[in-house]
Amino acid sequence: MLSPLRRIVGIVGIAVVATLGITACSAGSSDSSSSGGKSVVVDSSFDLKTADPNREYETTGSIVAKALYETLLTFKGDDVTKPIDGLASYEMNADNTVMTLTMADGHVFSDGSPVTVDDAVFSLQRVQGIKGNPSFLLEGITVAKTSDTTLTLTSATPNPALPYILPNPALGVVNKKVVEENGGTATDADGAEAYLNGASAGSGPYMLESFDVASQVVFTKNPKYTGDAPAYDRVVLRNVQGPTQKLNIQAGESQVALDLNPDQVAEVGSSDVTVLSSPSRYMIFLLLNQDPSVSAITSNPDFLKAVKAGIDYNKIVDLAGDGSVQPGGFIPSLFVGAIDASDGNQHDAAAAKAALASSGYKGEDVTLNFPNDITVQGLSLQSVAESVQAQLKEVGINIVLAPAPVATELDAYRGGKETVGLWYWGPDFPDPSNYLAFTPGELVGLRAGWAAGADSTVTDLANAAKAAVSTDERQSAYAALQKAQNASGPFVPLLQPAQNVVTSKSITAVSLNPVWTIDLAGIK
Amino acid sequence: MKAEKRRAPAGIPPLARYLAIRLGVTALLMLGVTLVTFILTNLVPADPVQAALGEQAAANPEIVKQFRENAGLDKPLPVQYFTYLGHLFQGDLGTSTQTRTSVATELGKAFPATIELAVGAILISAIIGIGLGLWAALRQRTFVDQIIRVVSLIGLSVPAFWMALLVYFIFFFQLKLFPGSGRLDPAAIAPPHVTGLYTVDSLLAGQWATFGDAVYHLVLPASVLALYTIGLLTRFSRSAILEVLDADYVRGARAKGLTGRTVVLKYVLRGALVPIITVLGIAFGSLLSGTVLVEKVYSWHGLGEYAFSSATKLDLPAIMGVGLVVGIVYIGLNFIVDIAYGFIDPRVRAA
Repeated sequence: MLSPLRRIVGIVGIAVVATLGITACSAGSSDSSSSGGKSVVVDSSFDLKTADPNREYETTGSIVAKALYETLLTFKGDDVTKPIDGLASYEMNADNTVMTLTMADGHVFSDGSPVTVDDAVFSLQRVQGIKGNPSFLLEGITVAKTSDTTLTLTSATPNPALPYILPNPALGVVNKKVVEENGGTATDADGAEAYLNGASAGSGPYMLESFDVASQVVFTKNPKYTGDAPAYDRVVLRNVQGPTQKLNIQAGESQVALDLNPDQVAEVGSSDVTVLSSPSRYMIFLLLNQDPSVSAITSNPDFLKAVKAGIDYNKIVDLAGDGSVQPGGFIPSLFVGAIDASDGNQHDAAAAKAALASSGYKGEDVTLNFPNDITVQGLSLQSVAESVQAQLKEVGINIVLAPAPVATELDAYRGGKETVGLWYWGPDFPDPSNYLAFTPGELVGLRAGWAAGADSTVTDLANAAKAAVSTDERQSAYAALQKAQNASGPFVPLLQPAQNVVTSKSITAVSLNPVWTIDLAGIK
Repeated sequence: MKAEKRRAPAGIPPLARYLAIRLGVTALLMLGVTLVTFILTNLVPADPVQAALGEQAAANPEIVKQFRENAGLDKPLPVQYFTYLGHLFQGDLGTSTQTRTSVATELGKAFPATIELAVGAILISAIIGIGLGLWAALRQRTFVDQIIRVVSLIGLSVPAFWMALLVYFIFFFQLKLFPGSGRLDPAAIAPPHVTGLYTVDSLLAGQWATFGDAVYHLVLPASVLALYTIGLLTRFSRSAILEVLDADYVRGARAKGLTGRTVVLKYVLRGALVPIITVLGIAFGSLLSGTVLVEKVYSWHGLGEYAFSSATKLDLPAIMGVGLVVGIVYIGLNFIVDIAYGFIDPRVRAA
């Protein structure tokens, strides 16, 4: 007779063996519940909210919308300096107020129906009418059908950025008939989101197989897609955190990882994977409040100069790893209007100490606010803040770090209440005009207490940049604006962190882009 | 006579009366949970509108106004609370301000995932924890006893996040014994939704391979979660068993000449089960509400991750929904444990 203990151990042993037996049999099996075809697994850290293209305005949402829907204009590869034809071709009038779009022949939705000008007009008006996060992209624009093949986008003031705005996946063209049948309208009463979270109604390279906002989105190839057929029949886009992404890609569990931080990228460097590092579209910056009622210290021009000269930009770039760069101004290196880092702020400890002495600063504590629960391309803002603190300490500035969750810090930032803030800006569209927000009286300018009229030199240069039409004119106008901002403005551009994409060796090509991060159909 | 006065009115069985009282208390507690959660979330010095809208949308007064109206945030706090309660009584948990999806739908996906994980963990914990506790108690003050006590202490003191990564690294990455993140293989399609528990739903659909895949994915995260509760149960079981080992009825059983197996199973274990079940109930509750770190590492998108995500984004209806579910789970578990006492201990049943 077995003792009780041996009997229990025996039962447990049998249970373990049985479980392992079942699981071993299932490992790698492909029964009826598994799908066929060539598939690829992409790991990403989700910020997903919806699969409705006209409502999404998040990084993951753009990846999803780009795979399911086509836009009127698009970009080729990662070149965002030149919009190209998508579902339509375009012409701008001389003063950049009227864009005429002519629909291309032959594009069809996944249900086989043709993409028409009515679908395009409905989709753009839906973005406007919903009043959601991407609605501002078409603010002040009148969308009108002008013939069976053309539509116009009319702006009250010159809008040279429009061709750069239209490739945004949020402006994806949906199948009007299908969306309307499922509650869709071009007003805030629109009710098609739930339908579009379960099925796609687009003409993109993929169709939606399943959508779970928290865990994964699965795509299957659209057999009616008229462009180059994607290499993979099925794509699984999974929500996985950075540390797990690293192990998954190394073990071959996934084929593409999008969110490894600089340390993790360095660790996988010797593994059997490919690392693609390039400057991302994000710009991390410091703001020093110019409102004396918020801070008499940071609104002092000499103190501002001391901070700009006191920071060692190379050290911050080193901290962020390979692929990161110092932007010359507030426009990232990828866009028209960008200036070289050599034209940006430079580290000069002696100049910083001299400016500090002129400012009358007596060693008071200066608070640096930043969100500590988010990362930018895997880079923690806490580490950047600590580096800034240490560098400014060397020139005699006492920075006190005040981290907070982003949800609670946003109020102070957007309300212009921070003394010194450490934040980042992701472009709404790849055009320098988006960065006019960093001028006096504008969205981000106001957050730094930089009211309209506070700096007439910068304002005049901003107006000149806004009026410039040709690419060359715009390049020089935005360059002059940024140099003036570097000299007197309250923003200190610190860093463009790297966009790191790690792929397994089985992947021969990926198509990255600053607007939609990755084109899933471009994975080969 | 006095004892007769305390009895239930004629026609209402004691069990029904007991259940009615418990349900009444539960409803009051739930009301308290909603009130406390509502007050706490509104004390956070932040605006949910800013957390939900993008940079440009948050700067547009018209969009902000519409968002506040749609979410009911334009009304005074008491009105917001009573509106929420009104909807709650109709089974409506509200709509997420982040995803504009029904909170009930989102909880319906997240909760079964966590239940599956917690049940797996508690099963592993119960088998190993009680087994080790029994072994240590029967070998009191021996080398085996010392080893088990030290090992159980490690389980209690190692941080879950670190252990989750370590186990993932060793068993998935290095040894390749178990699969990686998620609840199923990426190539697999989830079984038809019945309960939301992939193990159960795949069995109901007769998809044996999917069942095996679901169990295979469950082993690592459930084992990591179980490490803490194994430690807890080992130590608790050991002391509970030691207490009854010297009890008169156990010595009496031995004196009657019963075999060691009968004494241990029918006298010792049964006598020690009441406190052990209490700890099991508490441990199961803590597993349900404390899985966030393990869920993050294993991409197991359950209640913990949903709660974390909702809290960081100030998604008030979702936070309230999570509070309610966790409250119901704790109260429900206590209730089940109370009922279980009656089955195990005749003295409780008689009382």
